[in-house]
Amino acid sequence: MRPKGLHRREFLKLASAGSVLGAAAALSPRGVFAAPAGVKGPIKIGYQAILSGTLAGYGEFHKMGVLLAVDEVNAAGGIAGQKVEVDIRDSTLKPEECIKNARYFVDSWGADFLGGVDSSGQALALAPIMQQLDKVIVITHAATEKLTEEWVFKKGVRQIFRICNATYHDGNAAAFVAKDFPITSWATVSPKYEYGFTCWKMFQETLSKLKPGVTFKTESFAPFGTTDFRSHINTILDARPEGLYSTEWAGELITFVKQAKEAGLFDKIKYVMFPVGAAMDVLEGCGMDMPDGIWISGRYFFRYPDTRQNNEFVARFHKRWSHYPAYVSETGYSSIWALKAAVEKAGSKDTKPVIQALEGMEIDTPGGHRVFRKEDHQAIYDVPWGKTKADPKYPFKVMGETKLIPASVAWARPPFEGPGTKPPF
Amino acid sequence: MRPGVAAAAWLALLAALCAVPFLSGRFAPYLAMRVMMMGIFALGYNLLLGQTGLLSFGHGAFYAAGAYGLGLFALRVSPHPILGLAAGVAAAAVLALVVGALCVRSSEVYFSMLTLAFGMMFFALVWNAREVTGGDDGLIGVVRAPVELGLARIPIERESQFYFLVLLLFALSIWVAHRIRLSPFGLVLAGLRENATRTAFAGVPVRRYRLAAFVVSAAFAGLAGALEVLLESGARPFMAHWTHSAEPILVSLFGGLETLTGPLVGSLFFIAMREVIQRYTEHWMLAFGLLLLVVIMGFRGGVVGALGALLGGRRPAGEGR
Amino acid sequence: MQSIVHVCLAGLSSGMFIWLVASGLTLIFGVLGVLNFAHGSFYMLGAYVSFALVKALSPHFYLAMFLGPLAVCAAGFVVERWFLRRVYALELPYQLLLTFAFVLVFDNLVKIAWGAGSLSPPSGLGPLEGSVDILGRNFPVYSLFVIAVGPLVALALWAALERTWIGRIVRAASSDREMASALGVRVPALFTGVFVFGTWLGALGGALAVPYVGLLTPGMGETIIIEAFIVAVIGGLGSLKGAFLGALVLGVLSAFGTRFFPAFDMFLTFILMAAVLLWRPRGLFGAA
Repeated sequence: MRPKGLHRREFLKLASAGSVLGAAAALSPRGVFAAPAGVKGPIKIGYQAILSGTLAGYGEFHKMGVLLAVDEVNAAGGIAGQKVEVDIRDSTLKPEECIKNARYFVDSWGADFLGGVDSSGQALALAPIMQQLDKVIVITHAATEKLTEEWVFKKGVRQIFRICNATYHDGNAAAFVAKDFPITSWATVSPKYEYGFTCWKMFQETLSKLKPGVTFKTESFAPFGTTDFRSHINTILDARPEGLYSTEWAGELITFVKQAKEAGLFDKIKYVMFPVGAAMDVLEGCGMDMPDGIWISGRYFFRYPDTRQNNEFVARFHKRWSHYPAYVSETGYSSIWALKAAVEKAGSKDTKPVIQALEGMEIDTPGGHRVFRKEDHQAIYDVPWGKTKADPKYPFKVMGETKLIPASVAWARPPFEGPGTKPPF
Repeated sequence: MRPGVAAAAWLALLAALCAVPFLSGRFAPYLAMRVMMMGIFALGYNLLLGQTGLLSFGHGAFYAAGAYGLGLFALRVSPHPILGLAAGVAAAAVLALVVGALCVRSSEVYFSMLTLAFGMMFFALVWNAREVTGGDDGLIGVVRAPVELGLARIPIERESQFYFLVLLLFALSIWVAHRIRLSPFGLVLAGLRENATRTAFAGVPVRRYRLAAFVVSAAFAGLAGALEVLLESGARPFMAHWTHSAEPILVSLFGGLETLTGPLVGSLFFIAMREVIQRYTEHWMLAFGLLLLVVIMGFRGGVVGALGALLGGRRPAGEGR
Repeated sequence: MQSIVHVCLAGLSSGMFIWLVASGLTLIFGVLGVLNFAHGSFYMLGAYVSFALVKALSPHFYLAMFLGPLAVCAAGFVVERWFLRRVYALELPYQLLLTFAFVLVFDNLVKIAWGAGSLSPPSGLGPLEGSVDILGRNFPVYSLFVIAVGPLVALALWAALERTWIGRIVRAASSDREMASALGVRVPALFTGVFVFGTWLGALGGALAVPYVGLLTPGMGETIIIEAFIVAVIGGLGSLKGAFLGALVLGVLSAFGTRFFPAFDMFLTFILMAAVLLWRPRGLFGAA
């Protein structure tokens, strides 16, 4: 689809307010301001996100972030002086659809860059193809650590970069937060697929090291598409753990929260962690049904960091779309600016120089200061954990008390294995 | 059509398919490969649905068996593509033999639901056997090793090379399906479709014939699945899901059940239409659904039947069979 | 004990939704001989339309729950009167394809009308808020209500089919179309009526599911239609008694599976169906 959502007039208003230019300046990488000559336009970026089925809301939020960024980048002179064009395709949840889209973008549409991808399975399916397509892809949602560890670091598919945080945040960082709770037993209700298994494993391993003696009482994995969590909830209540860790996400997390509340789970278990609970769809969907005092996090939460850049981004986003940006909105938005920065730094839109420019590149984004780790192309940035509480300004719960586990601490797992590397434990 | 004309038409199609990689970039040959794989899947499927009159909801499982058969063989035994394809087809056929033996005594919708049940059990098995199958991540990293044929060594690593292997197997599949349709075996299957009771009275062991048709069609599915793994370098559990099992049904009905060409034309339409629609609207489901409605309400014998009726004045097939 | 009772209750309540969808499916198959794949879409539409009405008519929760499914009947009417009627003569695959096309259309229309994201009704929608203590653990009052509605619908259906004049006509038409027609029954109109009524049952299931599931998504009908198919087949196609029993068994069995045999939870439903069909090839109460 052509970007239908562009409202030229609305957008000019914004531009005249100068906020766009401010954002552009803040987003430029350090030391590089001038547009280099020699880049031929337009710069075409092919995005894909899930736009159909039960998770289609994620694709919509993603689209909003990308379209906003494209308008702003073009208003700020495009990428290296060239106009940016995006096409956004429905990735569905099927890996073969994702591969087909990527091939279409590169081989038929003529994309210079790719972006998006929600599911881990899709990202992994795409990985072996990326070398052949030989274009840089910025992953904005898929969280599997295997993508960056196996494919980028070990197998050397250097075309892949990830701008969102990964399972390290959901698993390891959660354990760093959990170690300070005055409890010693945990259980989980998590998705019955690799993402759920991996995060729970990371959480257990890390927490066991940080807090010896902690026990894990039971685990109940819910297949994809579960709408009735009542039996899972019974499993947890029977095991009587002191803490509950759950990587359920999107609609399934909303359903889980509501059904757990009905069953009185939150009265019996005082320490509950939802690593992706700070997603906007979940917070809006749960509304006031989300209990207070739940520890949540995500890939980004619109109130953090409290910087001018982020606050202005949130304001522009809200004005344009009447929503607060979800994390996929921020990662989608920032991915465009990251590509702009990389192309301008490289002075070229060719794959090789852009990869070199992106490796180790630092950039200030609404989500904070990001560094693309050279070894595995994972963007390192900090996202806080926070305890839910009501705020009269919003019709949903937000983070109250927060706790920040620096990414440099929690994410220093592999690929830094073997001699000469520094694993955290 | 006279045999001479038909042969000429097939040769023209073959020539056109041979020309595709030379005439365009990478995307058209890629789509052509996907069409051919879907074509193999649907062609085999139609031996069951069109020829024998059995509606299976579980053929995704055989597609997946072929895919995982090749994938596991390539990753653990040998990367030889031809041996891998054989392993995939064999895996699909063996699975079909077991499943089919349990299903063929049922008929109509009960047969469909039994195949659905076994297909989804296989899906759950693939999903849960993480150590072997990689769970929902799937098997990843299958490479296209060269075809070793004693003296010769044919590389298929590049897509333009692999394309011709797909084309060869596609042509072979059409030829085999064609032979089966015309063989005494195929005629018995058609008899089963028209009237199973009467055929049984004629002394035909109905279940055994149904089982044979089931296994043969599953072998085609396995071949298609194995080829997809070579193309996309991986196998995924959703290949076994019922939503994937529905695709050859869709394709066969779309093209028409009566003819050999129906499923092939259906495959082309299915993939090409979706591709075209997606370029113009994000509401591809709506557009595709409406298109399906038009095809069913408009020409009930599928696209090929309607074209045949138009050209040769035949009665649109499908009604009153 | 506490756990077993609660798992049982959870299974019963989820089984009732499957029953409501399966009852419409079964009725339509029994009378019209059509397997309606779009029946899950009526469930979805029932949920969306009722949710919209609950908001519009607040606080008249029951009124919305009553009117929502009625509105969806219009969709059922269109499907039957202008499309399905013309393919009765065709075989099962064509009917499935036609109704599958409607699944795509309805899913996409819902996406256009209500947005692609999920909708989430706030709790406290109706008067049945809150939970009761059963053996020391909370159980939602609303789920108890659902458990009561299922058998009531079953009873009403039975009474309507067995004890009323129109029920007799429906049964006559379903066992012999031509004979009924010869006796002066307007079969096409009757079929439309039955289809619309079946639509209403599916949509009612969707409406009731709004507070129960707590989430509305485009495509939410796809899981339940497969379950409803399974239940209808286990019970024996066309048998309402069988569908009711099948739904109870499926609901309770999956709840127990999830709680006590989690390794098999993705298999259980299908093992159950295969076992029943291998034992009785036409389902529990299917006509031979």
